Amino acid sequence: MIADALGGKTILVTGSTGFLGKSIVEKCLRSIPDIARINLAIRSSARRPAAERLEREVLSSPAFKRLKGDLGEEGFTKLARAKLDVVEIDLGRDGLGLTDQGRERLRACDVVIHSAAAVEFDNPADLSAQTNLMGAARLVEALKASGARPHLVHVSTAYVGGMLRGLVREEPPLDPGLNWRHEAEVLTNLRGPVEEESRRPEILTRLRREARSRMGPAGTPAVARTTERLRDRWVKERLIERGRVHANAMGFSDIYSFTKAMAEQAVVELHGDIPLSIVRPSIIESALDEPFGGWLEGFRMAEPLILAFGRNILRDFSGLPDALLDIIPADFVVNTVLAVAANPPPDARPRVYHAASGSRNPLRLRRVADEAGTYFTEHPLRDRYGQAIGTPSWTFPTRQEIATRARTALRVVEAAQWVVERLPLGANVTQLSDDLSAERDRLDRGLNLIQLYGVYTEVDCIFDTRNVMSLWEKTPAAERKKFPFDPALYDWSHYFQNVHFPTVVRMSRAETAARRGKQPSGSTAPKAESSSVRSAIERRSGRGDVLAVFDVDGTLVETNVVEYYLWMRLRAQPLEEWPSFMARMLRKGPRWLYLERRSRAEFQRSFYREYDGLDPEVMRGLGREALDAVTLRRIYPEGMRRIREHKRAGHRVLLLTGALDLVVEPLAELLDVEVDCAHLLVRDGRLTGDLQSPPPAGEARGALLEEYASRNGVALAESFAYADSLSDLPMLELVGTPVAVNPDARLSQMAGQRGWRIERWRMAPGNWRLPMPDPRSPEYLEAVRR
Amino acid sequence: MPRPGAVIEVDRNTPPVLFHFGEGIRLEKMPLGARIVYPPDPLEPIAHPERAIKRALAKPLEDDPLKSLLRRGMKMTIAFDDLSLPLPPMAAPDVRQLVMEEVIDMAAEAGIDDLHIIAALGLHRRMTEDEVRHIVGERIFTTFHPDRLYQHDGEDLENNVYVGKTAQGEEVTLNRRAAESDLVIYVNLTLVPMDGGHKSMSTGLASFRSIRAHHNAKTLLASRSYMNPPDSALHQSCIRQGQLIEDTVRVFHIETTVNNHAFPAVANFMQKRETDWTPQDQAMFLATKQMTDIMPPAFKRNVFHAMRAPYGMTAVHAGQVDAVHDKTLEAVRKQINVPVEGQTDIVTLGVPYLGPYNINAPMNPILVVCMGLGYLFNFYRNKPVLRKGGVLILTHPCRYEFDAVQHPSYIDYYDEVLADTKDPIEIEKKYEIRFAEDPWFRQLYRKSHAYHGIHPHYAWIWAAHAMEHAGDIIFVGADRDVVHRLGFKCATTLDDAFEMAEQTVGRYPSVTHLRTPPIMLADVEA
Repeated sequence: MIADALGGKTILVTGSTGFLGKSIVEKCLRSIPDIARINLAIRSSARRPAAERLEREVLSSPAFKRLKGDLGEEGFTKLARAKLDVVEIDLGRDGLGLTDQGRERLRACDVVIHSAAAVEFDNPADLSAQTNLMGAARLVEALKASGARPHLVHVSTAYVGGMLRGLVREEPPLDPGLNWRHEAEVLTNLRGPVEEESRRPEILTRLRREARSRMGPAGTPAVARTTERLRDRWVKERLIERGRVHANAMGFSDIYSFTKAMAEQAVVELHGDIPLSIVRPSIIESALDEPFGGWLEGFRMAEPLILAFGRNILRDFSGLPDALLDIIPADFVVNTVLAVAANPPPDARPRVYHAASGSRNPLRLRRVADEAGTYFTEHPLRDRYGQAIGTPSWTFPTRQEIATRARTALRVVEAAQWVVERLPLGANVTQLSDDLSAERDRLDRGLNLIQLYGVYTEVDCIFDTRNVMSLWEKTPAAERKKFPFDPALYDWSHYFQNVHFPTVVRMSRAETAARRGKQPSGSTAPKAESSSVRSAIERRSGRGDVLAVFDVDGTLVETNVVEYYLWMRLRAQPLEEWPSFMARMLRKGPRWLYLERRSRAEFQRSFYREYDGLDPEVMRGLGREALDAVTLRRIYPEGMRRIREHKRAGHRVLLLTGALDLVVEPLAELLDVEVDCAHLLVRDGRLTGDLQSPPPAGEARGALLEEYASRNGVALAESFAYADSLSDLPMLELVGTPVAVNPDARLSQMAGQRGWRIERWRMAPGNWRLPMPDPRSPEYLEAVRR
Repeated sequence: MPRPGAVIEVDRNTPPVLFHFGEGIRLEKMPLGARIVYPPDPLEPIAHPERAIKRALAKPLEDDPLKSLLRRGMKMTIAFDDLSLPLPPMAAPDVRQLVMEEVIDMAAEAGIDDLHIIAALGLHRRMTEDEVRHIVGERIFTTFHPDRLYQHDGEDLENNVYVGKTAQGEEVTLNRRAAESDLVIYVNLTLVPMDGGHKSMSTGLASFRSIRAHHNAKTLLASRSYMNPPDSALHQSCIRQGQLIEDTVRVFHIETTVNNHAFPAVANFMQKRETDWTPQDQAMFLATKQMTDIMPPAFKRNVFHAMRAPYGMTAVHAGQVDAVHDKTLEAVRKQINVPVEGQTDIVTLGVPYLGPYNINAPMNPILVVCMGLGYLFNFYRNKPVLRKGGVLILTHPCRYEFDAVQHPSYIDYYDEVLADTKDPIEIEKKYEIRFAEDPWFRQLYRKSHAYHGIHPHYAWIWAAHAMEHAGDIIFVGADRDVVHRLGFKCATTLDDAFEMAEQTVGRYPSVTHLRTPPIMLADVEA
């Protein structure tokens, strides 16, 4: 019935780059050999033209593997060329942006399957309205305008009725008293005001402050970029929220079902004499058998939940344990759509079909949790040590309870993180901060899932499937095998244990097998130290255009500009003046701490004022003494080794630092490397405390490095940079191999996100001492006397 | 008349014996029947050192009186031993100061203007100004520093000259100033028989090129021990080099020796035998023990390193190197030799806080090995107190601690070389040149206060003989990870160490405890 009815027909599929659309195209190609032609409505995207999208986004999908296997690569290409055609259609434009040729094609269609949609529940309001609602309306208008009268199969969702209870009939939507045109306008026009709102001084200031707090030391451009990113996110979040609130207000759980419901209204209102069928699938999940068991694309609704369960992220979940969870395998939906497409309504009254399992093969929430428990007990996910993760046992509290719990925990964690990030402890709190951020992520994700999907587990309705079943009755036995769409045909245990859960795990690329390779042997023999950076150095050995650039303070030496200053000043003044000097320094401490957090450059500028009026020659001498007394004592032996490795490999080595020439140049001289550091202006034979050029911090550091590279013909993409703080970010970003050495909390996070190497270098133990000269030493006494 | 050294047997009435334990001390009960070897008491020092010095200069051995060697307008150089001697540093005035002041006065009288004073530190670290000042005294320092009083630099290509090759093919280099001088006066302080003689010039004013001729695993394994020059391949080699130097430059050697009065009055109990402890010593011991048990290492180090030894000069000789050195060795022997009958299965040793290479610095693990298995083990004549294959037990906390300024190359040696192999010969093959020629270590040696890049290797091979001789080596109370990195065993208490030793030497081993420092040399009967 189905293959025959569709044989010789030309069909148009919208949304063919999506999961469902692709599945429909595949099934048609494979199971309806007589089909005349399948037109794929594809819009050229900014990156690729429509034809290329067909190749890259549709035909290369695993969905076609089975066909390719049956026909061979060549046979498949031939088939695709014979049957498939691209029609450039842009549902975002009135008239669909059709060319004359496109219009011609449209007119030639016998069936139009509209499966294009923005299916995420948390899409911004305007996107959902445009794609789901206006897209459908525009399609119908365009069909009418072209004069064609194809059978239009509109794929909707079972949840268009909002949060109903009891039996939901297969009927055109009740009129909720809403005007879809008006709703579309409201939602579409939301973006303007939200964008505007995002630029309001108080919002922008707040975002800027946040960006500053996160990226401050990395320099103005980095802060600006972050601010803009935050603003974009803020706008998106606001639009999502506005959409959700709007949908909730209209009695819907989310923007998706709301816009889909409006779309049904629009289609029903506009279709005129175009035969219209509406297919309402419930929650579509991986295919049971076709094209292969477990065919799924993109993470949809249940997958994040299932993984969260397996990873024990979601320790509990809200919902009614006996609520029906209406899940339907994708291939059943495809078959339903094709069966509907093959059976156009005889009159102008639209027909509605529920592709849902609830009435024929009910699945309850508790069952899913139990199945997941069984599955993940047998095939547990693994943590990063390769250990099996236990599964939670859900108690199903109410959504309110659980959300409150999660929110409280989140707040506590955020507060702790705030404190930790502000402690002036540098690399020492990195681990703690990373842990907190992981915990926050976990809570955030959990809360999100609860907010998004919680409502679906409280739905207390059954979707009527009488229309679908009457199609099923009509289907001859032979075709029933080829196009199964009766949900009673399969068993949920089989579906979950053998099809769906394995698919979800496979797609998440989570480890379930114990780690490959050997088990730990238990050998305590020392293992050879391996560093990927060292092997990178070896690979680029002998290349003069490779540069290794090192920050100094905190990266090569455990000091900062303050300690040097203290040491040099104390060295030059008699013991009895020390206390008053120290008291002066302490008083200024808090201000410096604050400046340091805001911007490294500002801090350095402010601190170097302390040098005002000092004798440059004396200070230079003291700087040389500080080399032995401070620098070499606090040096990281591993850093020295690394520099020598670079030199042995023939690389250029550059120390790029905001520290003063007084203290860095002696070290650079000893190391025999180039140095770029801060210089103080000298006037009338005295230091002024003003810098000759802006301190090389933040973006200035990046600019310096670029300038150096172009002057010396350095290949930055092959080069190395070592630094410890966020203010070095622009420098690290420029090179091919950035290494975060003893990163502070913020840089550590950044390095983790970007996959940079993180190394921890330590001072040789037993060398830390206060940056104070020994007041008993005759050398000191003599120096003071002089 | 000071008592000679003694060997006593532990019986029921023997008090527990002192073990040095880094910057700390332990009192341990030795098993019954074990023997304890005590050093001789300090010899009476010479009452008037200045007069003795004058006398020695006026009547040198096998050489003309110094005065007759001095001529107006001559180019003269004084070289002196660096601060690795004596240990602990001597309370001011240092004997070297006394000798140098005398020599300089004579030179001034003779009208010599071109006089340089060079610290003969070989591949040791440059001393700080304070340290140089302590050795030469305020007067010399202010007069000559920095232009005419400076430190030898073995990596200064300009200022080291190649002298030639010995009959055995050992290359010899010498400080250029010394090589070009009309007269070189070497002012030495000999604390142990290893020092002095031809070794002074041939290592102190040399470079890696000439020092590697004898500072290598093969030579050291053939030196049994290097504390007894006639049996030491190291010294044979130094003598050959020294003779070549003598043929090139006119050298006038002045050698001094001091007694073994190593500890000041506050630490008198360390100097004395436990049986002699007075109530005052007991109290000092208790106080020191309490303090060192609870204080952080850095603080203890400051206290211990501030100690200055009240050494007294016991001899001074001047003249031709060999003649002088014979007399010197005789004087040293008189102070430190203790006759010991036969070897034992186990030898116990306390490793103190100080060795020649960690003045004002922590004794890092490699230096602990150098001190315990190198110097202390090698204080013997004829044969070691420990029988071949016996167990050596040492006490030292062996913390993972390095002085970043003085011992940068030690850190890399520990982290990289010892993680790879511990065999001195293999290390020498793989790493000698790399460490010796590392440009960074070379810079630190020349410009900062770091030991030469190769120095950790020398410290390590100093113990080669002990590592080869002992069947097992156990550290008591040490950091376990460190001891394992060094390739030895670790015990928590001395009793545990004895238990562990049973596996090697059986149930009832013979035991000797060498109660040192003060320094002594076990003269084991053949």
